Amino acid sequence: MVRRNPLNRRWKAELKSDIGRYLMIFLLLVISVGVVSGFLVADGSMILAYDESFEKYNIEDGKFTSGHKLNRSQIKYIENGEVPVKVYENFYTEVMLDGGSKMRIFADRTEVDLVCLMSGRMPEGTGEIAVDRMYADNNSLSEGDVITAGDRSWKITGLVALSDYSCLFENNNDTMFDSVKFGVSVVTKEEFDSLPKDSLVYHYAWKYVSPPSDEKQEKELSEDLMAVMADETDLKDFVPRYLNQAIIFTGDDMGSDKAMMEIFLYIIIAILAFVFGLTASDTIAREATVIGTLRASGYTRNELIRHYMMLPLMVTTAGAVVGNILGYTYFKDFCADLYYGSYSLPTYHTIWSFEALLKTTLIPMAIMIVVTYIILARKLRLSPIRFMRNDLSEHRQKRAAFLPYSIPFMQRFRLRIILQNTANYLLLGVGILFANTLLMFGMGLPMVLDHFQQTIQENILAEHQYILALPVSSASGSHLNQMAEMVMFANGTQTDNPDAEKFMASSLYTPEGQETVSEGIMIYGCVPDSRYVHLNMTDEDVFVSALFADKYRLKEGDEITLHERFEGTEYTFTVTGISDYEGSLCMFMTQKHLNEVLDLDPDTFAGYFSNSEITDIDRKYIDSEINYDSLTKVSRQLDVSFGEMMYLLDFFSVIMFMILIYLLSKIIIEKNSQSISMAKILGYTNGEISGLYIHATTLVVLVLLGVSLPLVVTVLKNIYQTVMRQMLSGWLPFWLDSSLYLKMYALGAGTYLAVAVLEYRKIVKVPMEEALKNAE
Amino acid sequence: MFLELKNIRKSYGEADSRTEVLKGIDLSVEKGKLCVLLGASGSGKSTLLNIIGGIDQADEGEVLINGDRMSQMKDKELTAFRRRHLGYIFQMYNLIPNLTVRENIEVGAYLSHHPLDTDELLNVLGLYDHRDKLPSQLSGGQQQRTSIGRAVVKNPDILLCDEPTGALDYQTSKEILKLIETVSGKYGNTVIMVTHNNEIKGMADQVVQLRDGRIRRQYFNEHKLKAEELEW
Repeated sequence: MVRRNPLNRRWKAELKSDIGRYLMIFLLLVISVGVVSGFLVADGSMILAYDESFEKYNIEDGKFTSGHKLNRSQIKYIENGEVPVKVYENFYTEVMLDGGSKMRIFADRTEVDLVCLMSGRMPEGTGEIAVDRMYADNNSLSEGDVITAGDRSWKITGLVALSDYSCLFENNNDTMFDSVKFGVSVVTKEEFDSLPKDSLVYHYAWKYVSPPSDEKQEKELSEDLMAVMADETDLKDFVPRYLNQAIIFTGDDMGSDKAMMEIFLYIIIAILAFVFGLTASDTIAREATVIGTLRASGYTRNELIRHYMMLPLMVTTAGAVVGNILGYTYFKDFCADLYYGSYSLPTYHTIWSFEALLKTTLIPMAIMIVVTYIILARKLRLSPIRFMRNDLSEHRQKRAAFLPYSIPFMQRFRLRIILQNTANYLLLGVGILFANTLLMFGMGLPMVLDHFQQTIQENILAEHQYILALPVSSASGSHLNQMAEMVMFANGTQTDNPDAEKFMASSLYTPEGQETVSEGIMIYGCVPDSRYVHLNMTDEDVFVSALFADKYRLKEGDEITLHERFEGTEYTFTVTGISDYEGSLCMFMTQKHLNEVLDLDPDTFAGYFSNSEITDIDRKYIDSEINYDSLTKVSRQLDVSFGEMMYLLDFFSVIMFMILIYLLSKIIIEKNSQSISMAKILGYTNGEISGLYIHATTLVVLVLLGVSLPLVVTVLKNIYQTVMRQMLSGWLPFWLDSSLYLKMYALGAGTYLAVAVLEYRKIVKVPMEEALKNAE
Repeated sequence: MFLELKNIRKSYGEADSRTEVLKGIDLSVEKGKLCVLLGASGSGKSTLLNIIGGIDQADEGEVLINGDRMSQMKDKELTAFRRRHLGYIFQMYNLIPNLTVRENIEVGAYLSHHPLDTDELLNVLGLYDHRDKLPSQLSGGQQQRTSIGRAVVKNPDILLCDEPTGALDYQTSKEILKLIETVSGKYGNTVIMVTHNNEIKGMADQVVQLRDGRIRRQYFNEHKLKAEELEW
């Protein structure tokens, strides 16, 4: 019969006697495992639903927009060209809804880019519409509500997810999607045909007959296809699926979030492993005489290792189990809501994830077992007699660090405590760094967004920037018609508004680099003595906006090469100055200079700056308007997407900070309990003892908090800028108000204060008998 | 009398497991004298020392030191009392492991408004050359000398010694006893020493033998020996 180790019956008593420590470790595990497991389950289930949606909803391989409707022979030419494809009509029209949102309306799709009905029903008659669920949520719309655009209105019959708009990008080259002021919707074919034709966009989708095997081949095929289309059509836009942000951004983002969450988990596990390690050493130190006696009585080293590992493992297992239960229930829904709050995803089913179990439970447990085992095994190598004598020092000849006697005694005492606990304080430093990074991200991102919006409000070039567009009909039809359209365009784009000032503009693209995605840069050609662009420019000058310079690290004298989107013509500019404009990535030169570069007539212009609305130009001649709303799209969307997550991060970092400080300072007090007890016997007051042991930790915490801030800013700035460069076009400068440092410092110090009160109580509770234990 | 104990009673545990450790102790010690408490394990000598030192409290009876009634003192007053009047020496030294020899002595000095000169004391203790070492770098005798230094540096009225030679060999024990004799003679401290070494009684002014929580025998040495004359 195998006899059970009687020592193992101690676990209840041990748990009770040290409930504070184990409760904190348990809580930290539950929260971290819960959040990460919930996230991985939600992320895994949603990625699967997202991946499956490509087949389930027959998502396009690409899309293009033509300036005119393609006739049958043009479609045949494309379909039977060098790259065989099937082309589908997917026309849309856009309306400005009352309330200021732009709604892109499609006819219900039957072949490609199918629609997922999330709730309600699909429209069946005229005056009915099914709108994107995400847009509806952000605008508090639900089934039965009515949306209006001027004299037309539609009743919402259902909320849907359009498979080609999992992310609501209005234009593919937009810096950020906009699920607040931009929505997509479907109506019946009859309803769609009844919509005004002047804003109809000839938008097509294609699917390859032989799908490419990898992204490299997909790229080659799409380039060949674009050449075919450019030959045959008036190509306005061409976006293969692998570049279509409205389709791929969601998947990419979910993938990178997952990687970030895993890194987050591993950092927590590393910290917890150290905490367990220190706890194990501390337990051995406290139980040295017991261990010595047991070893002397014949207990083997392994029996004792198993015994001392039991409780940490029980706590880890309990934490992991509870964390997983919460992960699969509460946190999973919380994380899914975060995604549903940003993306227009189809419905998903929770998939049990072995990966989540492995990463959040099995790996952390394995790490805990290994770390605790190694530390216990190393510590228990000492002979029984060393344990019985409480002589656990591994370096017997360790010398005292020199501290000049000119330092007052109490200060020297504190310094000795700090030196004695260097390992604990180093770990605390790592914990503070990590917690502060999360906290700064949580508290700082809203600040970055607010600052950006405020900057734009303060130095917007003009309240309105109108970019003119040639009407679609000018590019088709007979030569005579085209001439007539051009004349009408020239007359129709004049304004009597005294605020209006003409400018030339062109969008050129940055090359795709290792660090950044290719993105459009608006080049403004300004009239001399412009009222809106206050730069003293000659016809040779090229100014870049402060935002452009910040993102691409540009300075005076640098050369920038930009290219046209589809034609590939390259232009190289030498920067002669940096403008302090922070509204967008753009460049400034004189109108004459820009027209020279583009080989156009010197007076050619593309739009107007104006501080008042221009009402005497027909909307059909206005391609787009740049105003405060369009410039703050990114910050607004990030605010919506990350709002709740920021609070979660703040909460988590404060809790983690608190738990770490509690655990580590508890170890420090326990390690010194005999000295504390002795000091009490000698006549030191609780206040004086706290002055030594708590003030030492206070000093370290305050210094670490202070030192961590500039380090955290550097780390966070680098992470932020790298992610921004790689993930997004556009740029939100990293800017933090100095009050944030003060707030973070105060929050850290306040959190520590709460822990210090607990520490003080612990010091008061150290009995004087502690010093007498070995005196018998 | 400088130290007076009146009918001290102390018991531990409750109901059936209740054990009476001290069963009515009456004792008086004059200022500047060395009193040795002798007795076997469980006789109650350490408990009595702890009650004199204000670490433990008697269930009944009174402790008066120089007229101050300890039994009526609250926790803060007891702390202040220990701070002003008492010095402790333990069998296991109880030095603070992360402080040097000199700093351990300063731990005691800090508590006094008029501490002895630390360097002079280090010389008296023979520890001057070891002043920058940590306790773990010292022999048992050196550690106990440091502990004596910590106790006497604040020049306490009473030096309480709990088996100060219990963990030391013969030669070192004699050195420690000599040191206690020297410093108490030099600084005029009253010494209460607990020991189970019967031979140490030879150097005491007053010997109190305890058995089962009671004073079995008490007497005063007319011809006390010097520490170096002790043999065992």
